[in-house]
Amino acid sequence: MSVVFDILLLGALVWIAVGALSEMRLFKSVVMFVVFGLFLAIAWVRLDAPDVALAEAAIGAGVTGALMLDAVGHLRARSTPYPTPPRDEDADA
Amino acid sequence: MPSLELTVRALEYAFYAAGAFFFLAGSVGLVRFPDVYTRLHALTKSDNLGLGLVCVGLAVRSGSAIIALKLLVIWLLVLVAGATACYLVAEAARSAGVKPWTREAQR
Amino acid sequence: MDPVLTALAAFIMLTALLGIWRIERGPTGADRMLAAMLFGTTGVALALVLAEAVGRGGLRDAALVFALLGALTAVAFVKRAWGAGD
Repeated sequence: MSVVFDILLLGALVWIAVGALSEMRLFKSVVMFVVFGLFLAIAWVRLDAPDVALAEAAIGAGVTGALMLDAVGHLRARSTPYPTPPRDEDADA
Repeated sequence: MPSLELTVRALEYAFYAAGAFFFLAGSVGLVRFPDVYTRLHALTKSDNLGLGLVCVGLAVRSGSAIIALKLLVIWLLVLVAGATACYLVAEAARSAGVKPWTREAQR
Repeated sequence: MDPVLTALAAFIMLTALLGIWRIERGPTGADRMLAAMLFGTTGVALALVLAEAVGRGGLRDAALVFALLGALTAVAFVKRAWGAGD
């Protein structure tokens, strides 16, 4: 029975990792990354390594995920003015 | 007449089954419901109730007051965090202009 | 390991995997964030069940960190990365 659980866990890990890397939209990719960190932490729990699971959940998924979400927000805020080129009357004023 | 141990074991498994049912209900709600606000209902109510039932089952299994108290504290933390996150996401969605789903709008 | 506990863990894992479908479909960023919150709750349940199954009490601390992580990512999302477009 625990073999079923292990196969599910490993399959989900590979599937989510491929999904996070092959996704073009940044936000979706970051969410996939956070979910990947959670599943990796569960894999560490399954391997009976609670301290590594703690570090993976807190740093790998939590802090890195929050920083990446912040970076996506900054990128979006910066990329909105670019598509419309500045007009001449704006440059004079 | 079943022994006390057997009764406790049956109670524990009943709590597991109920918790698993509510987890399944929450996931199906997340997949099937039509908009953000209804999905928040499925997520923050059903899943947290399922977690609480699984925690009660595990507490019955452990048979230790300290472990039961710790499981209770973990569940309360998840409840508080889930309710806060639910309110934040709903407020952000409302201020971003996501329209709530209505039956009339579908016709 | 108790086969009932492993069966319960596998079932909770399956219900969590349903959430990946919601991440794929979207439509808004909030929906994807909801799926991440689903993984937070189910991750707590999985850690608690596995802690009981392997008889290692320290794994319950990992469950506490999972609970904090869900709230942290939700707050980071609402404060920083909200956009209804994706």
